[in-house]
Amino acid sequence: MRNLIDFIQKNLYWLVFLLLEAVSLILLFKYNSYQGSVYFTTANKVVGGAYKLTSDVTSYLNLGKENAYLEQQNEQLRSEVIELKKRLRKRQRNFTSVNIHDTLFSGYKFVGAQVISSTLHRTNNLMTIDKGSKDGIRPEMGVVCSQGVVGIVYLTSRHYSIVIPLLNVSSQISCRMKNSEFFGTMQWQRGDPDISYVNDIPRHAKVKPGEMVETNGYSDIFPEGIPIGKVRKVKDSSDGMSYSLEVALFTDFKTLRNVSVITNYTKPERQALEAKADSLMQSTEE
Amino acid sequence: MSRAIIHRLWKLLVVLLLQLIILNHVHVLTYATPVIIAYVTMNFQRGASRLGLLLWGFVTGLLYDVFSNTMGLGMCSATLLAMMQPLLLSLFTPRDAADDMVPSMRTMGTHRYILYAFFSMLIFHAVFYALDAFTLSNWTLTLMAMGIGGLMAFIIVVFAQILSPSKN
Repeated sequence: MRNLIDFIQKNLYWLVFLLLEAVSLILLFKYNSYQGSVYFTTANKVVGGAYKLTSDVTSYLNLGKENAYLEQQNEQLRSEVIELKKRLRKRQRNFTSVNIHDTLFSGYKFVGAQVISSTLHRTNNLMTIDKGSKDGIRPEMGVVCSQGVVGIVYLTSRHYSIVIPLLNVSSQISCRMKNSEFFGTMQWQRGDPDISYVNDIPRHAKVKPGEMVETNGYSDIFPEGIPIGKVRKVKDSSDGMSYSLEVALFTDFKTLRNVSVITNYTKPERQALEAKADSLMQSTEE
Repeated sequence: MSRAIIHRLWKLLVVLLLQLIILNHVHVLTYATPVIIAYVTMNFQRGASRLGLLLWGFVTGLLYDVFSNTMGLGMCSATLLAMMQPLLLSLFTPRDAADDMVPSMRTMGTHRYILYAFFSMLIFHAVFYALDAFTLSNWTLTLMAMGIGGLMAFIIVVFAQILSPSKN
């Protein structure tokens, strides 16, 4: 300790020298604008460099935290993407139905729905969709998808509806050949969920395989022109008086998820009303 | 107050007046000005207190700066010279010189004193003009100012020694 004090006393002038030089330099930078600005700029550069180094080191040390935050953000974005995709699909489902059949379905209202359960291999297959009376769905409304006809609403509850698809032996849909305009009734006959049959096609009708089958608009359920399937084979009916057409259905019931219910098809009602009005007019004239 | 200190203060006053009234208006090449305020500091006796020497140098520089509006330049240079004075003195002092020798042509010899004065003035002006320029651009001009200023101050110091009636 004594040695240390001796050493300090012996070299005190060094400390005083440094102190006096420091005071001189402080006064120099303070009272001389040029030297002050040069010092300030240089000091800024040095301090800036030191800060940058500190910041680099700190940010490197904080990478773990940053990664965790990014991971969390990724999770959030991922779930947002899923949600948005879901919404997009929902919208596309509606738009696709309308777009694909734009010319056919113009003026009709559709309610998009999702198939939540369905059977394929029973005699009377049924399908449940996630929309019901709350969404304006009533029994006897037509159900279509972007590929074609799906079936007819059978029962509705507030939030769900039961649909009788084409794959039901009790389902009968009026249809026609697109090119020849000959019409018949489509009825499924168990078995293959991709094949259905059109009966009562007159024998003079020249039907060829590959012809398209569509709704004819005679029923009060579907407007005319909605595709159903394509003729695969032309057979004789069991009584031999007409043809029975084997039709490959456009709708793939095995993968069907998104459907649309036609909620404002009023043509038959309108026609009936108009006919009634006509008859009334005629009776008045007489 | 000892006679030596009064004598030094008197010398400082004369040097300061000479510097402020005459030499501060001499600008060789518009840049180099001789500064002789360190003259008193460099003539401190051998073995003088280093702390006292440092404070003397600092105050001398402060006085110069206050009146010349060069705050910090003179202080820094004069303090550095005060720090180096014992070293320079030991380099040029004859071996048989007294321990309390006061540097002068008579005590050190003309040749030694000239060298001592030259290096002292050179160091002072080097620091002074380096701080004044405070940049390495135009370093030739700075070097010229150091050299010319130092040389002129050295000449003045030598003349002052020659003309000095004092034995100190």
